[in-house]
Amino acid sequence: MEPAPGARDLNERDEQAAGASATGADRVSPHRVRIVDAALACLALGGTTKTTVDDIARQAGLSRATVYRVFAGGRDEILGAVVDTELGRLFAALGARMGAADDLGEVLAVGVCEAVTRIDRHPALRYLVEHEPATVLGHLAFDASNRLLAAATGFVAPFLVRWMDPDEACRVAEWATRIVLSYTISPSPETDLTDIDDARRLVGTFVLPGIRALRAPDRSAPIALGPFAAGDEPGPSPTTRRRSARRQGVTGPARRLPSSHTPPHTNRPQGETS
Amino acid sequence: MVDTRQRILGATYACVARWGLSKTTVEDAAREAGLSRATVYRYFPGGREELIHDVVTWELMRFFGRLYEAVQGAESLEAVMERGIRFAHRSIVEHEVLQRVLQTEPEMLLPTLTIESNRVRQGIAEFLLPYLLRHGMAEGVDPGRAADFLARMVLSYISSPGRWDLDDPGEVRELVRSELLAGVVVGPEPRAGGGGEVPPALDDET
Repeated sequence: MEPAPGARDLNERDEQAAGASATGADRVSPHRVRIVDAALACLALGGTTKTTVDDIARQAGLSRATVYRVFAGGRDEILGAVVDTELGRLFAALGARMGAADDLGEVLAVGVCEAVTRIDRHPALRYLVEHEPATVLGHLAFDASNRLLAAATGFVAPFLVRWMDPDEACRVAEWATRIVLSYTISPSPETDLTDIDDARRLVGTFVLPGIRALRAPDRSAPIALGPFAAGDEPGPSPTTRRRSARRQGVTGPARRLPSSHTPPHTNRPQGETS
Repeated sequence: MVDTRQRILGATYACVARWGLSKTTVEDAAREAGLSRATVYRYFPGGREELIHDVVTWELMRFFGRLYEAVQGAESLEAVMERGIRFAHRSIVEHEVLQRVLQTEPEMLLPTLTIESNRVRQGIAEFLLPYLLRHGMAEGVDPGRAADFLARMVLSYISSPGRWDLDDPGEVRELVRSELLAGVVVGPEPRAGGGGEVPPALDDET
């Protein structure tokens, strides 16, 4: 039902296009985006506790019956659609920014900065964090956060495969997502990631060296514990299985962190704009 | 001797373990502690709400007390982090009361935990700072910022491991080496003690 995350057709201006393409058989109603946006406006004013289907219908300029025709599940289904839509919009915006950067550090910095900024300035989210924090926090801790990490990782990783193998890309994407979550949930007085320079500094200081370290043989470890002590050949221990899988293809002489020039190939992910 | 406040909190925790956060009342806690309601209110004038908030932070502090003990005796920065992450992860997974509350009434717990996470993060950062300084910082890295970054990441991994298997010592070691310490401390070259040991003279609090 939802377009794939990152597909760029979730913006308001695409609503008409979505409506135009909707034939009678389409499951996606042209009213869907309108209702979701109305719900967003209501949430920014009154949160989930004060928002009713009637409020949403009034805000959307639709009848209650029409709203229920699109969202038979009522309020809960609308709120679910709001989350999906807003995540889709966030990912679309991230895609546009990350797709336009052509240096690994810059991809990560603009991605982190864009995500933190959009989350920070999101009116409905701001209201919820202030007035009913449990609604938001339920998605950001423990197992729920694992699901969010997985979703964001699946979206972000394709933007990184120009510079690394897919498994490594997933790992770095998850790491960047953790950074975004931490600095949005608990803003730092010293590091303001809505500021691109701070984001670049953080990525350059902590993240890029970590990515380099993924590829360097681990020489800091005591020999007895080092699965790669005999060279670069992974040991047979099952505990090193994932590590060795990660290493495949990244230890070859040709693989290096790129400097700021042309990427090795231009398998550009979706969402790129110019 | 356990003071009265501790006794009430311990009793409240026992009630929470049995009935959950939302169903535990001041009366329950008083009965469990063998005290009168009036006494409980003397220590917790805010009543149930204050009691519930304080029992969450009380258990949180106990958790970090156990974590602190678990990493005592670790000789290097790497060892402290590896041991701490593994211990914290296991403790969270095996914490029956926490897991039950997360399943059944997360909305009672998460706001407090999130607010407290600022204090927890500062605590972790302050704990790590001397280890960082002894180990030696990477060039141009501010120790305070690095400690804050590490504390943020540690909290993230232990509450939501994501792709990482934190029961696997090899994975934890790789996590610490790459995503946590690579940009923070001096490089991976073999060091004098082998394995980046902290100079022994500085590690005498154990």
